Amino acid sequence: MEVLWENILISIVAFAILYFLLHKYAFSKLFAIMEQRRELVMNQMNEAAETRKQAALYVEEQKKALDQARQEAHEIIERSRQTSNKQAEQLIEQAKEETVRLKAEAVRDIENEKNKAVEELRGELGSVSVKIASKLIEREVKTDEAQEQLVDQYLKEVGGRS
Amino acid sequence: MHESPIIKFGGFHLDLSAVIMLFVTCTIVFVLVRLAVRNLSVENPSKLQNFMEWVVEFVQGIVASAMDLKKGKGYISLGLTLILFIFVANLLGLPFAIITDLPANFEVFGKTIEATRNLHDGYMAHVLWWKSPTADISITAGLAIIVFILMNYLGLKLNRKHYLKHYLEPFPIFLPLNIIENLAKPVALAIRLFANIFAGEVLITVILKMGILGIPFLAVWQGFSIFVGALQAFIFTILTMVYIAQTTIHEEAAH
Repeated sequence: MEVLWENILISIVAFAILYFLLHKYAFSKLFAIMEQRRELVMNQMNEAAETRKQAALYVEEQKKALDQARQEAHEIIERSRQTSNKQAEQLIEQAKEETVRLKAEAVRDIENEKNKAVEELRGELGSVSVKIASKLIEREVKTDEAQEQLVDQYLKEVGGRS
Repeated sequence: MHESPIIKFGGFHLDLSAVIMLFVTCTIVFVLVRLAVRNLSVENPSKLQNFMEWVVEFVQGIVASAMDLKKGKGYISLGLTLILFIFVANLLGLPFAIITDLPANFEVFGKTIEATRNLHDGYMAHVLWWKSPTADISITAGLAIIVFILMNYLGLKLNRKHYLKHYLEPFPIFLPLNIIENLAKPVALAIRLFANIFAGEVLITVILKMGILGIPFLAVWQGFSIFVGALQAFIFTILTMVYIAQTTIHEEAAH
């Protein structure tokens, strides 16, 4: 086996031609596509990460909104309970006042009726006793002054007893 | 020993088998790569494109192991061409060889094949036409010389000061040693590749002599030869990248 410089030359030329052909017609395109592919994958990964972050944010927001709603509902219930309690107290208060007022009115009415009855009774008794007295004593009581004095004295005795 | 079909143009020896095999190798590599990049697609790559991308990533790994990938981007094409060319070249000689027995003064294109010149009547020249191109030391030497020229040229162009300084390190007296070291690199590249592939082909020839008994051995050896061919292509490529990295890249930490 001998080394032929012609073969060396031929192989160098052949390799150089192959290199330039491949570089020009194949590898540059392939590298560009691979770069694009890499970018595509990178973009998709970034997008996925972004979406995940957004989703987490959204869930957090939802949770917050839910919490807020729950708290509001709780407040509303609390408030309505308080107002109902107050109303009930007010009603009871009013009812009490009403009863007191009614009772006082009733007492006053009774008093009035009683006074009226006493007055009436007194008048009636006066005239009846005059009749009785005039029948009993007839002529002895002539003057009105003496008559009335007598009636009053009598009535006092009756009123004191009653 | 088989002869090469060499014809003479004036003083120029043209080895027809080398020309044919180089042409076949280059054509196969080019067609393979062209098929792979025929329907390039970002979204939906074909199987061949996937394969080619795997090869590119493999070579990127080789380059990245030798140097910073940012600086080595331009060498990926070179590495790809080297690894594909050498791998295909190594495999070409495995399935068969074409050997013809030629009579005296056999002529091709009107030129006499040198090996058959002045043969005595009745003698035949065994001329080997189809073989691995890398089983020829001249061709592996050609590849190694490309690497040699490239690494020294790139060293001078990109890293002149440190490249020249490295010849005088650690002491100026080491200059001859450094020159020898530099020259030994392409020689080692050429001989390693040639010897591995040539030995493989020789052993195939030997096993063929065993006849039917040799078939299992032949199967095993051919499988191993595929492995060796891939391995040698890988070694050649990675050494090329390492040599280029050594001459072009000055590492601060190294000194």
